[in-house]
Amino acid sequence: MSEKVNLNVNGIEIESDPNKLLIEACEDSGIHIPRFCWHKRLDPVGMCRMCLVEVETPRGKMLVPSCTTEVSDEMVVDTESDVVKKAQEGVLEFLLINHPLDCPICDKAGECPLQDQTMAYGPGESRFVEEKRHFEKPINISEIILLDRERCILCARCTRFSDEISGDPLIEFIQRGNKTEVNTFPNEPFKSYFSGNTVQICPVGALTSTSYRFKARPWDLKSTRSTCNGCPTGCSIELNSSQNKMLRILGVDNDAVNQGWMCDKGRYNFEYLNSDSRLKTPLKMMDNKLVEIEIQDVYSELTEFIKDRQTKVNFLLGSNLTNEDYVAFREFSKTISQSESSFYLNDDLLYKGFFGDNIELAKIDDLNSSDAIVVWAEDLKEKLPVLYLRIRQAVKNGVKLIVFGHTNETLSDIADVFYGKDMVSENFEILKDLSKMKEINNLVVGKNITAILGKSTPYQADESITKLFEFLNSNANSKVLNAYSKGNTYGAFQTLENLKGLNDFVNDISKDNTDLLFIVGADPIGRSVYSNQIKSIIKSIDTVVTLDNFNHETSELSDYVVPISSTLGEKEGTFTNIEFRTSRIEKLVPSPGQTVSDWEFITSLMNFAGLKAEANSLEDLNRKAYENLDSSLSPVFDNLDKPSNLDGMINISKPKISTSENKLNKTMFFTGEKLYGDSATERHSDSISMLGSKKFIEVSESVVEKYNLTSGSCTLTQDELEVTVSYEVNNNFPNDLVYIPTNRRELNKFDFSREILIIPTQVKEALNVN
Amino acid sequence: MKETILLTKHMRDNPEDSHLIDSYEKNNGYSTAKKTILESSPEKILEEIKASNIRGRGGAGFPTGVKWGFLAEDEDRYLVINADESEPGTFKDRILLERDPHQLIEGIIITCFSANIKEAFIYIRGEYAKPARRVQQAVEQAYQKGYLGKNIFGSEINLDIVVHLGAGAYICGEETALLNSLEGRRGEPRLKPPYFPAVKGLYMKPTLVNNVETISSVPWIIENGGEEYNKLGVEGSTGTRIFSLSGHVNNPGNYEIEMGSSFGEFVETLGGGIRNNKKVKAYIPGGASAPWFRGDQLDIKMTIDDVANNNSMLGSGAVVMMDEDTNLVSAAKSIVSFFAHESCGQCTPCREGTTWLEMILDRIASGRGRTSDINLLLDVCDNISPGLSWPPKMTTICPLGPSAVSPITSLMNDFRDEVESLIPTKVLL
Amino acid sequence: MSWDDKLLKQAKKIIKLYPQKRSALGPLLHLAQSKDGYISDDSITVISELVGITEVQVKSVSTFYSMYKQEPTGKYLLSVCKSISCEINNSSEVINKVQEFTGLNNNETDEEELFTFEAVECIGACGGAPAVQVNYETVEGVTPENAINLCEWLKETKPDVVVADEMQENFGGIKSFDWAIQDNSGATSTAPGFQTLKTTEVKK
Ligand SMILES: Cc1cc2nc3c(=O)[nH]c(=O)nc-3n(C[C@H](O)[C@H](O)[C@H](O)COP(=O)(O)O)c2cc1C
Ligand code: SF4
Ligand code: SF4
Ligand code: SF4
Ligand code: FES
Ligand code: FES
Repeated sequence: MSEKVNLNVNGIEIESDPNKLLIEACEDSGIHIPRFCWHKRLDPVGMCRMCLVEVETPRGKMLVPSCTTEVSDEMVVDTESDVVKKAQEGVLEFLLINHPLDCPICDKAGECPLQDQTMAYGPGESRFVEEKRHFEKPINISEIILLDRERCILCARCTRFSDEISGDPLIEFIQRGNKTEVNTFPNEPFKSYFSGNTVQICPVGALTSTSYRFKARPWDLKSTRSTCNGCPTGCSIELNSSQNKMLRILGVDNDAVNQGWMCDKGRYNFEYLNSDSRLKTPLKMMDNKLVEIEIQDVYSELTEFIKDRQTKVNFLLGSNLTNEDYVAFREFSKTISQSESSFYLNDDLLYKGFFGDNIELAKIDDLNSSDAIVVWAEDLKEKLPVLYLRIRQAVKNGVKLIVFGHTNETLSDIADVFYGKDMVSENFEILKDLSKMKEINNLVVGKNITAILGKSTPYQADESITKLFEFLNSNANSKVLNAYSKGNTYGAFQTLENLKGLNDFVNDISKDNTDLLFIVGADPIGRSVYSNQIKSIIKSIDTVVTLDNFNHETSELSDYVVPISSTLGEKEGTFTNIEFRTSRIEKLVPSPGQTVSDWEFITSLMNFAGLKAEANSLEDLNRKAYENLDSSLSPVFDNLDKPSNLDGMINISKPKISTSENKLNKTMFFTGEKLYGDSATERHSDSISMLGSKKFIEVSESVVEKYNLTSGSCTLTQDELEVTVSYEVNNNFPNDLVYIPTNRRELNKFDFSREILIIPTQVKEALNVN
Repeated sequence: MKETILLTKHMRDNPEDSHLIDSYEKNNGYSTAKKTILESSPEKILEEIKASNIRGRGGAGFPTGVKWGFLAEDEDRYLVINADESEPGTFKDRILLERDPHQLIEGIIITCFSANIKEAFIYIRGEYAKPARRVQQAVEQAYQKGYLGKNIFGSEINLDIVVHLGAGAYICGEETALLNSLEGRRGEPRLKPPYFPAVKGLYMKPTLVNNVETISSVPWIIENGGEEYNKLGVEGSTGTRIFSLSGHVNNPGNYEIEMGSSFGEFVETLGGGIRNNKKVKAYIPGGASAPWFRGDQLDIKMTIDDVANNNSMLGSGAVVMMDEDTNLVSAAKSIVSFFAHESCGQCTPCREGTTWLEMILDRIASGRGRTSDINLLLDVCDNISPGLSWPPKMTTICPLGPSAVSPITSLMNDFRDEVESLIPTKVLL
Repeated sequence: MSWDDKLLKQAKKIIKLYPQKRSALGPLLHLAQSKDGYISDDSITVISELVGITEVQVKSVSTFYSMYKQEPTGKYLLSVCKSISCEINNSSEVINKVQEFTGLNNNETDEEELFTFEAVECIGACGGAPAVQVNYETVEGVTPENAINLCEWLKETKPDVVVADEMQENFGGIKSFDWAIQDNSGATSTAPGFQTLKTTEVKK
């Protein structure tokens, strides 16, 4: 493969890898060929005909599309001949005859390939005197995407994306020939977790986002590259703002990570930044009410607690902090307290994972080079969406996929083997002897595999997954990708030792060992399955300080609430992804009101209390974060800012997680999370807020029969608590199983270790009447 | 001039029941297939086909033996019979399907034996309901006799045939569009490269796509030998060919002839001359895609090469005669709107260009033309088929787009006066 | 699912003919056409489940082909050819007459749902121009007068099986070739009459 081919383009000798497409080979050598339909990450279709070039053949010069023609040795190509130019002008004229004169009101204007190429290669004026093709102006094809078919140039980028990449072909070409249009099926909207990508790659303003519509013009946009901290995939992104407001997020093509794609939650969950409900001033609990106070007063009052170094302090940290924030709390804890402080991650699912010395950790790219991928984790499409896309890509390239667990159904469609309820019990135990399974013997044993492992639900015993891991580790050449699913979990792993989870929190923490509790960027009462226990613990603790962007159930029980900047665009730092790749988080917009970064708050507090902080600046903290690493390889700002490291630097230091196994008593109910929920940030991002608002459960068919459910909804009750939900039947579930998404508020409030009653709606209504 | 009757022999001799298996067998039908399966070898069959020098009858005229030789190795390979016949002017496959389906099936059996194929599809255009019924009936009869299915003719060989109905899309006659259609997709032509049917065809497996007439010729060739077939016709256009003659002739119809006589002779003798003793103004030598010849070009020989040397093509073998009274602008418009209607819509120049051409012609035909329209027509054509040369250069994926250009260049080259006379000279304000 | 068991059984039989399910999409759409006279959204949903693709994918395919009708058709689909050989043999007059008789524009259906009219591209009967199809049964050499007679006959007798040979005998003229023996099989809906689809019957 390493052998290069040489070709002559416009009289210049260039070199290329064989099997490359001409358009790409030219691009790599700085020769740009105009195009509309070709996209590096999609299969070529050669439809728009904009990229035609002349190639010499034994039968003379031929016009060929450079996006479907592979390079060959000694190929002679002309991309600028008169014939080529004429053809390009022709194509542009053809595209424009039916294109509306919409530029003044089009979101794409200013960054529109059609507009740009018309300037560069287009004909002068239109010779088309007939009536243009008409369609109803923008139609909503989903809650967040609009389609203007008059602007569409039928390049098939959107349809290919949804078919090839995301695997949910809900938009398609309808009709043929000159009547062709893109559309959805009536009552079947473009409901995809990845739909925003089609807006990004649409070469005209045919697909637009409700969130960006009419908001800005490209020429007054400011932008910066950053990393999405929505989940540990850590997609490379570009932030766009105008007049100090975040307006848009785009995917950046990081070959090793997201290849330009994002999930819609990562893309659209930003409008909360501009929300009026943001916390902007510090609050203090007085007479059972949170009232505004000065930040200086917060510092001075907290100083009272910490200056004598006798206070017992503990930390419950969310996963949206930067690595530098985590380090700041680590440094703080070392200074203020004689007793050891503990760090608890706001995660129901934290468990020890597979990081031992004999274990080789996988990179995302290993997916493509494995013989097979074995998955048992939370539903990856819901929790690590772009990692899910990378698995799809690997499968498309021929890698085998084996999926375990009845809850991993979104991968079941493309899996070579899906071990659902026959293999995995309602208690999440593997039911059969793996060494006796024919498929496992064929596809896994002795092969190079990447195992994506994580717990599917807090109710899964560690042992069950360990059993799978051990089998893989001893029977195959395996690498492991531990699939924790929350934000910057891996940043916390890299910076904090002896991390624990919420199950440890409820076991460990009491007012006896905690005088002062910091809760940072976390609302466990609103989201965790341990909600009730956490609530009583928090109530019992003397002083609770919450740092967050919004008030929520947890902050409302706190003594102090400190408004902080968002990690999305309001501060700088670093983020570490699932493969221990660390990259930059950048700031683009000012942080509102009196908000401060977590690290600023905590260092200021130390300095205020006279406990001289060792690290006083972001740079100090950044350096401290990686002080154990070889300096040239460590992802400190200086290194990350080198052009060759923009995609991040991988640096694995195996984490020490000291969580103890939770021993939850599982009833028929088990919990998990969907991509969209109703967290504070989502609720305050208008264009996506409705996507995670519905309260529902998933049930096995047998539950429907058992409880005589008929109307599509039912009521769950336990003690005083009553929640009405809709239910969906999930045929992948073993009998008598009920799934509850706990990132929909109220649904996490049940005590799942005890019975919860399911009452059909019609019965409930009858009861209410009496 | 006389016909040479090979493919149409059985149907002529047995008008009562030529489509039924008993009749076919009574006249020695299936004996060639049986002999082939039981006594011959794939290589021998291929040699005969090569020796016959038969060229594809679907339009492109590709040597059939060479095509079979290209078929890539694979466990699963398919044969697809192209019975989508939709090129305006063409109705030759229809008669073969309707009147002698067993001949086609026998050809399929021999072809599949030669190419080691176990499954064949006959893709018939949806509008050919009656022909499709006849073929389906014939397939069922052949199954009953054990000529299809498992262990055909008592051999180790299995062969299945599925008759598949299209649904109204001319473009599905293009072989890769046909394969997409057969896979349950939009009938959009695939990119060549990389999707050459012989390598990546149906379900991405090596696939032979051949026309009905091509495969219907196979039994005769194998029965009588490739050499015999090669003796008929002329070099480069061997054997017989069924021409569909239509338009302003006294005796339109299908005529099986050896290639080599002139169009004039053909029309005068078999065609019975032009109706009402009119003169020919122009004629189409090979289907709607082919550039026209003028009435004074009737001495051109009906061979693939002679027609090509005169910048047109013998194509699907459809000859359409247009007499001196024909409104050629309307005729051209009819052909252009055909292609506009049948464009699959993938390529910008074809999708937008053919419709635009149709609009301009419509304007001219209805007296609303502008003087600039002549150059505009030619330039739009040039953007679909650069240089307006023959064989056409293309800015498109398949030749359909450039086909729409043929009638316009014919008009402009030879009948420009007629177009200009329709354009009002003074612009009325 | 809005298809009855009989139809579903037939659909499954068709699917079995092919190495891959999706190949049955075309025939299944013909089935849908024969059931409702057009491709209803309901049928699209059923088919999408049968072949395992999304509804919009089915719709994308069905709208590509002109024989899958997007609006309900009448009992008789009248298709008059307007392509070159017919065009130069006066097909426009046939079209005019049929339109006059039925009062329909192109692609329209009358209120009684008796006729749907369309001017179509070549139907492979160019030697018998101008040519007409009724429910895809071909009549060749149709004069404008005979076109009206044909429509009238359909309107009056309302045959359930439309037979090419019968219509040709009564309303046709010059033919593309000798049709030979009388064939009484025909179409029973606006989908092509074909054994596999069970859309054909022999008229007694
Ligand atoms: C637009 C277009 C339409 C075509 N239509 C037909 C057709 O209706 N029947 C046919 O046999 N070949 C048709 N062809 C040719 C086929 O692509 C293919 O060459 C042929 O089926 C090969 O068979 P043969 O080698 O036996 O001729 C068409 C080609 C093009 C480009
Ligand atoms: S909507 Fe945009 S991406 Fe989709 S086909 Fe049209 S122009 Fe291309
Ligand atoms: S997959 Fe994760 S990192 Fe990527 S955009 Fe979505 S939330 Fe952000
Ligand atoms: S030339 Fe026309 S018919 Fe052929 S692929 Fe392109 S758009 Fe489709
Ligand atoms: S970019 Fe090559 S054809 Fe569109
Ligand atoms: S042109 Fe009318 S049937 Fe062929």
